Amino acid sequence: MTLLECKNLSKTYGKHTALNDISLQIDGGHIIGLLGPNGSGKTTLIKLITGLLCPTAGAVYVKEEPIGPVSKSLISYLPDHTYLNGNLRVREIIDFFADFYEDFDSLRAYDMMAKLQINPCQKLKTLSKGTQEKVQLILVMSRHASLYILDEPLAGVDPAARDYILDTILSNYDENASILISTHLISDIENILDEVIFLKDGHLHTHALVDELREKDHKSVDTIFREVFKC
Amino acid sequence: MLKKLLKYEWKDTRKLLLPINLAVVLMTIIGCLMLSTRIFDSEMGFLLAAPLLVLYILAIITFSCITLVYVYTRFYRNLYTAEGYLMHTLPVTHTQLFHSKLIMGCFWFSLNSLLTTLSASALGGSVGFHETAKEISGEISESFIDDFIFATGQNPDSFSFADIFGFTLPAFILFLFVMLLVSSLSSVLIGYVSVLLGQQMERNKLAAAIAFYFGIYMGFQILTSLAVAIPELLNLGKYLEDDSANILADSFRTLFPSMIVCYLVVDVIFYVICRILVKRQVNLD
Repeated sequence: MTLLECKNLSKTYGKHTALNDISLQIDGGHIIGLLGPNGSGKTTLIKLITGLLCPTAGAVYVKEEPIGPVSKSLISYLPDHTYLNGNLRVREIIDFFADFYEDFDSLRAYDMMAKLQINPCQKLKTLSKGTQEKVQLILVMSRHASLYILDEPLAGVDPAARDYILDTILSNYDENASILISTHLISDIENILDEVIFLKDGHLHTHALVDELREKDHKSVDTIFREVFKC
Repeated sequence: MLKKLLKYEWKDTRKLLLPINLAVVLMTIIGCLMLSTRIFDSEMGFLLAAPLLVLYILAIITFSCITLVYVYTRFYRNLYTAEGYLMHTLPVTHTQLFHSKLIMGCFWFSLNSLLTTLSASALGGSVGFHETAKEISGEISESFIDDFIFATGQNPDSFSFADIFGFTLPAFILFLFVMLLVSSLSSVLIGYVSVLLGQQMERNKLAAAIAFYFGIYMGFQILTSLAVAIPELLNLGKYLEDDSANILADSFRTLFPSMIVCYLVVDVIFYVICRILVKRQVNLD
């Protein structure tokens, strides 16, 4: 069964077209890089899949379900900014996730928090920005979801933190689940990607398997990206 | 899922709104205790009473404003700012999200209005009780309570509560309670509908929501004023012809039902608009 299907998806803001007629399918068990320069439509596509935006045209299906409570229960989403109430304590946020998501694994969350020496009794706003981002990642990766959507999880973090984030992502998802990662930092994640999606000016430029792309052009994904999006 | 949403809505909102409402109760108790002493009998006491009364009124108004503004901002912040990324990706419907905010918003605003009404009644009753006590020293409380029971009962030979206010006391309280509920619902819905209309704009959504609020609020005030004025104007001819007509009692008899109907109609309209706007998917920035 196709995990994610976008059919002729378009999104316009007034006269500006952010996404134009995107059609793609993603199956389970893959790590997909959603790549493109700023303003290419990556975040818009992610917001359409997660139901935070309504499409101007077209539709999105997750396991053949249109966007709604069922599709949302299948997706674990990490936005590109802090989105949790800073006045809540970490354990209160864990309780919140456990209450709403049947697939949330509280033990896994507490275990990861302990490894990072994050005190669950602390209020989120008292933690450093980097630690807040790690808490958000832990919450998202503590779910046994079918599709993980991570919007710029590596942006603005130091190389050591990047390693931790990638390790957390890779060691905490189910075999049958897929991960859609949006990022500019291709060289950091190239080795873990199975597929790439290139978005250019709101259009789908490329959707291919990483191995096929490398064999065809005899170049790394990072090099191909730099050539495609050369200014 | 609605139960879970309500549970977290309660947990988050009680942090500010529970102390505010407890403060109203505390102010009332302190006020009643102060009135039970002879502190205001002297000239100095009277000079103290005036600023205390102003402070009390200011505090009550401030608490009501904080409640309303907090309910509105919570709705906006929790659903249409960064926190909306969490709320709108929960496996719940948009309608469930809206209902959880509406139920809890109405609960807090109704509670605040009810406590404010009870507080004013308790302090007013206290003043009346102690004034009676001063006049008839000796059989203080018995006299006041007997008079109160007598006045609120059905007494054909005397001016009872029903003769003055047009309803028996239980009926009056019931009407007042219903009016408090429907007017609280209107107050909350005006804010929510404004936020939702603001979200339909491409940009400056918050500014648009505030502009919508003042526009809708003014229209709503005109409508409720008409709901009060029209029945009174219809009764005017009767008052001119009949000198013995009880204007206050007649006013209450027409005012309560017409106001309740007016609020109910407005509530239904706002609720339907909200449901339509909420069903359209969000467009978070």
